[in-house]
Amino acid sequence: MTQIRKIILTLLMSGFALLMIMPFIWMISTSFKSPADVFTYPIQWIPSSLNWEHHIKVWSGANTFATYYLNSLKISLISTIGAVFLSAFAAYGFARIQFKGRETLFLIYLSMMMVPPQVLFVPKFLMFEWVGIYNTHWALILPGMFTIFGVFMLRQFFLSVPSEISEAAFIDGAGHLRIFFRLILPLAKPALATLAIIDFSWHWNDYENALVFLIDKDLYTVPLGLQNFILENNVDYNGMMAAATAGIIPMIIVFLVGQHYIIQGVAGSAVKG
Amino acid sequence: MHKSWMKRQSRLGYLFIGPNMIGVLLFFIIPAVYSFYLMFTDYKFMSPETNFVGLDNIRRMMNDDLFGVALRNTFVFLLAVPISMGLAFIVAVALNKSVYWQKTLRALYFMPYITSGVAIAFVWMLLFQPSSGPINGFLRGIGITNPPGWLSTTEWSMYAIDIIWIWFMLGYNMIIYLAALQEIPEELVEAARIDGARPWQTIRQVIWPLVSPTTFLLLITGLIMTIKNFGIIQAITQGGPGNSTTVLSLFIYQNAFRYYEMGYAAAISWALFAIIMIFTVLQWLGQKRWVHY
Repeated sequence: MTQIRKIILTLLMSGFALLMIMPFIWMISTSFKSPADVFTYPIQWIPSSLNWEHHIKVWSGANTFATYYLNSLKISLISTIGAVFLSAFAAYGFARIQFKGRETLFLIYLSMMMVPPQVLFVPKFLMFEWVGIYNTHWALILPGMFTIFGVFMLRQFFLSVPSEISEAAFIDGAGHLRIFFRLILPLAKPALATLAIIDFSWHWNDYENALVFLIDKDLYTVPLGLQNFILENNVDYNGMMAAATAGIIPMIIVFLVGQHYIIQGVAGSAVKG
Repeated sequence: MHKSWMKRQSRLGYLFIGPNMIGVLLFFIIPAVYSFYLMFTDYKFMSPETNFVGLDNIRRMMNDDLFGVALRNTFVFLLAVPISMGLAFIVAVALNKSVYWQKTLRALYFMPYITSGVAIAFVWMLLFQPSSGPINGFLRGIGITNPPGWLSTTEWSMYAIDIIWIWFMLGYNMIIYLAALQEIPEELVEAARIDGARPWQTIRQVIWPLVSPTTFLLLITGLIMTIKNFGIIQAITQGGPGNSTTVLSLFIYQNAFRYYEMGYAAAISWALFAIIMIFTVLQWLGQKRWVHY
């Protein structure tokens, strides 16, 4: 009886899940269709013939997804590595060292999380122009290396590491730096991986900052490149879907590889506040 | 002895936090302070001079019809949050224990959230295509002769955005609900069953109240997350048709980077901050209640 219920529920939930990913399936299938078949109804889920030309169009020409990928990869990787390292350092300070003004500082960090990005756009724009990094990748990389969320997440994790571990090391004569590098960081590998994957996905998907701070097409990241492609090919529906596919595939791969970390990180961060 | 130790600790503390603090100062605190100053000026990009105009920008905002429209659209946008949460709760309860392929199903539901970005915006743009798009094709197929024009009409455009946003947030809400459900002691659900409660009763009277802190948390954080977002809307409609999808956050972007009214944009962005502040205070007040449930 319960067995049957379980099967029915599984089928029901699978059906709904299929509905959830249907836009992706439609996107991929449309990217291979011929223009005439885009809107045929009932929907053609399996294209009558595989048309690779739309995908070739996306990857060739003046501004191609190869450039966008490289730009996005560069920005996301440098930002993420910087963010993980700098957050870990700060989080250790907040979690494990007693010093004057710590609580006040942490409160300031907290309050900065409430400030909407829109408040910061104009001043950052003026600042970047003044120092000459507006319309360069630095305008995304430099701010990207500082994530308040990362400090919070790792602080939470460091607080959960028993203090006996570092006390024993203190007695053996180790200082904070040594404890941080030799003890805490190796212990925190799962937390660091979680932050790295979540942070990478943010940078990869970041459209708003790129929109505000980049102008030159050869500097475009994947989201901007996608928008650009669609502005220039707004009647080529197959091409649009081929471009969208190119924009989504890397994140799907990251997700499949780091699924466990992403889900755990998202769940942990919200439930703990 | 003790004093010098404290001093050393403080120095070490700043050594650890310092590098991060420099960035937070440069990219968060200074811009925030500067934006606060800009709110009281008539700063326009490339304008020869900037004047201090006092509360003019705030007065202008109060009298700007478009601000009212943007505010209204923002509230329609926010409707997506509770709807998405409701669906996510149902999915989470179903996926918590009593199905096969749990992990795969969770991943599938979560997929939209990770593939955020403009890509999905464009996919939905075609799905919603009014005359021959698959969604209206389906609606006609089930007998609706006059399906909505979705993104191309002022009446429906904001609701179309809501549907996309519900779809987008569902997986995120579901994961958080799942985490909360797993904290519920098995005995409580078991006890309800022994007392003869039907599954539906158990969900309504045992599970739902027990996850209410999570519901509250998701509601507030969801509202904050939604109110800040403008990427999806910018990518699909740029606020149109008319101004039917101009939400507050997009309105700020447009004023700053399309019309270069940067002083005015700063003022609206602080209005946005005030709204987020209200949600945050609510969350903080709520937190006190949910610690001991």
